[in-house]
Amino acid sequence: MTIASFIAKNALRNKRRAMLSILSVAVSLFLLVALQVVLREITLPPEDVGAALRVAVRNKISLANPLPARQLAIIERVPGIDAVSPFTWFGGKYKNEENMTFAQFAMDAKKLRHIFGEAKMSEAEYRDFEETKDSCILGKLTANKYKLKVGDRITLDSTIYPCALSFKIAGIYSGTIDDRNMLFHQEYLDEGCGTEGSVGMWWLKVKSIEDMPKVIETINRSFANSSAEVRAETERAFQLSFISMIGNVKVFVASISSVVVFTLVLVAASTMSMAVRERLRELAILKAVGFRRRELFGLILAESFGLAMAGALLGIGGAYALFTFGSVPKMTNGIFVVLEVTPKIIALAGLVAATLGIIASIAPSISVARMSVVDGLRTLD
Amino acid sequence: MPGANGAIVSIRNLSKIYMQGDTKIAALNRISVDIKAGEFLTLMGPSGSGKSTLLHIIAGIDRPTEGECRVQGVDVARLNESQLADWRNQNVGFVFQTFNLIPVLTAHENVELPLLLTRLSRANRRRQVETALELVGLSDRARHLPRQLSGGQEQRVAIARALVTDPAIIVADEPTGNLDSQSANDVLGVLQSLSRQAGKTVIMVTHDPKAAAFGSRTIHLEKGELLNGTT
Repeated sequence: MTIASFIAKNALRNKRRAMLSILSVAVSLFLLVALQVVLREITLPPEDVGAALRVAVRNKISLANPLPARQLAIIERVPGIDAVSPFTWFGGKYKNEENMTFAQFAMDAKKLRHIFGEAKMSEAEYRDFEETKDSCILGKLTANKYKLKVGDRITLDSTIYPCALSFKIAGIYSGTIDDRNMLFHQEYLDEGCGTEGSVGMWWLKVKSIEDMPKVIETINRSFANSSAEVRAETERAFQLSFISMIGNVKVFVASISSVVVFTLVLVAASTMSMAVRERLRELAILKAVGFRRRELFGLILAESFGLAMAGALLGIGGAYALFTFGSVPKMTNGIFVVLEVTPKIIALAGLVAATLGIIASIAPSISVARMSVVDGLRTLD
Repeated sequence: MPGANGAIVSIRNLSKIYMQGDTKIAALNRISVDIKAGEFLTLMGPSGSGKSTLLHIIAGIDRPTEGECRVQGVDVARLNESQLADWRNQNVGFVFQTFNLIPVLTAHENVELPLLLTRLSRANRRRQVETALELVGLSDRARHLPRQLSGGQEQRVAIARALVTDPAIIVADEPTGNLDSQSANDVLGVLQSLSRQAGKTVIMVTHDPKAAAFGSRTIHLEKGELLNGTT
C-alpha cells in the first residue's frame, strides 16, 4: 500500500457520497465554464478574416434609421475604398416561425466577393446570384436546418416592410464566422417592397489597412451636418457597439458565477467535514501510531483535492467536449455559431476546483489537529 | 534504553489533574513506579481509578500535569507534538479495546500503516508485515477486510499492527473487553508470548482478574493512587 492508495481508499469508502460530491463539482464547473464561454462569445465576437479591411457606415442617430441611397455616389469617390454595397435588413419570417433564426440582408450582389470574400461558393453559384435578380444565397447552417438546396424557392414575410418576397436559392455559402445569413439583391427589395431611395447601412472595403482611418474620417466628415449624418467605424467597433446595448453582462455573469462557486464551496466543505467527522477515531489511531498533524492535514487535503479535481475533469472536460465537438448552433437554436472553451477559461475553472479542494479541507483539518488522541479514541461511531 | 535499575519505564511523582469548572480532579496523584524491560504488567482498578490515564501517559498520547515519565530514558512530557509522534511510531505499539482497524483496508494494509511513516522500501515493508501477521497466526488472513474477520482475529491484527515497527513497548487498553473467552485467551496468549519470548514490555489495562493472571506483575490503582503492586 502507498499513501496515495490509502488516500484513494478513504476517498471512495462511501462510494455514493464520493460520486455525489464529484458530480456536484462537475455540474457546477460545467455551468461555470458555460457561463464564461457565453460571456466571452457575446463580449468578444470572433473576427472574420476579412474584417480588418471592412468599414460599417450607419445612421449616426440609430441603426434603425435608414440612409439615403444617393450617399453611394459620394462614398464611392472617397479615396482608398475598394468596394461599397448597401446592406438592408429585411426582417423576414420563414414558414410562420415565431422567432427568426437567420438574418436576411439586401445588398449589391456584384460586390459580394469584393467585400465578404470569406463566403465560399462555387463560381457558378456566384454568377447565378449576381445575374438573377430574385435570387438569394443562404448560409450552410440555415440550409441544413431547413433542408434547403440550390434551386429551391423560399418565401419570406417581412416584419419591417409591408411585403413578402419569393427567392430562388442560387447558392449555399460557408466559411464565414456566421454561416446562417441570407443575402439577396437590394434592387429586388426596392422593387418588391417600395424601398427605393433608402438603404439600411453601407458596408465597404478599404484598399489597405493604412487607408482605414482616413476613409472613416472622410466619410464621417462628408455627411456631417446633413439630414442623414453617418457613423463610419471599423467592423470590430460596429460589433462591440451591439454588446454595449446588452448592458453590464459581465457583472451579471460574474454574479451568477460567484453564487455557483460559493454554493459549491459550502457543499464541498460540509461534505468533507462530515466525511472526516465519521473517521475521527481512525484519525486518532493514525495520530497514535505516529502520524503528525501535517501528515493528517496532507491526507485530508489530498482526499478533498482529489475529489474536487475528479469533478473538475468531468465538468470541464464535459463542457469542452460538448462545445468543441457538438453542434453549437443546434444546441443554442442558432443563437450562437461557436462557443470556444479557451485555455484561459479551462485554467480559471481548474483554479476554482483546486481552491475549492483546499478550502473544503481546512475546517476538518483544524478539528483533527486540535483533537487529542485520547479524545479521538473516545469518539463514538 | 532501560534505566540503571533495568527499568524501561520510570515514573516519578506523576500527577494528572483535570479542571471541572473550578474543581480540580486528580486522575493520577503522585504516582511513582518502575516497569522493567520485558515485563508483562497489568494495571487493574475500578472505573475512574486512573489506570487508562497512566497507560496513555506512558504511551505518549497524554501529558502529565506534574512529575516525570521516562520511557527508555526519554522524558516524554518534554517532547513536542511532532517529536512525540515520531517517538510513538518507533517505540510504542497500541492495542485498544475496540480494535480500531481501518475498515477499508485489508489486514495486511492495516498492519502496514505505521510503516508508511518510515523510509522502508515497499519490499521491506511487506516482509515486516508478513512477519508480524505470522507472529499472531494470521498469515492466511492478510487480504481479508476487518468485516471478514472475527473479533479475536481483528484484535490479533491490531496486535500485529502494534508490533510491526518492532517497538520496545506494547500498550494494551482492555484488549479483551469485546471478546469472548476463547478469543480473549488467544489474544492474551499472544501478548504473553511477546513478553516472554520476544522480550517486549507489555503494559495492559484490564478489569478482568483472569486476564491479569497472564501478566507477570499487577499494579492496582484506586482514585488515582497506587496501591501495593503485586507480582
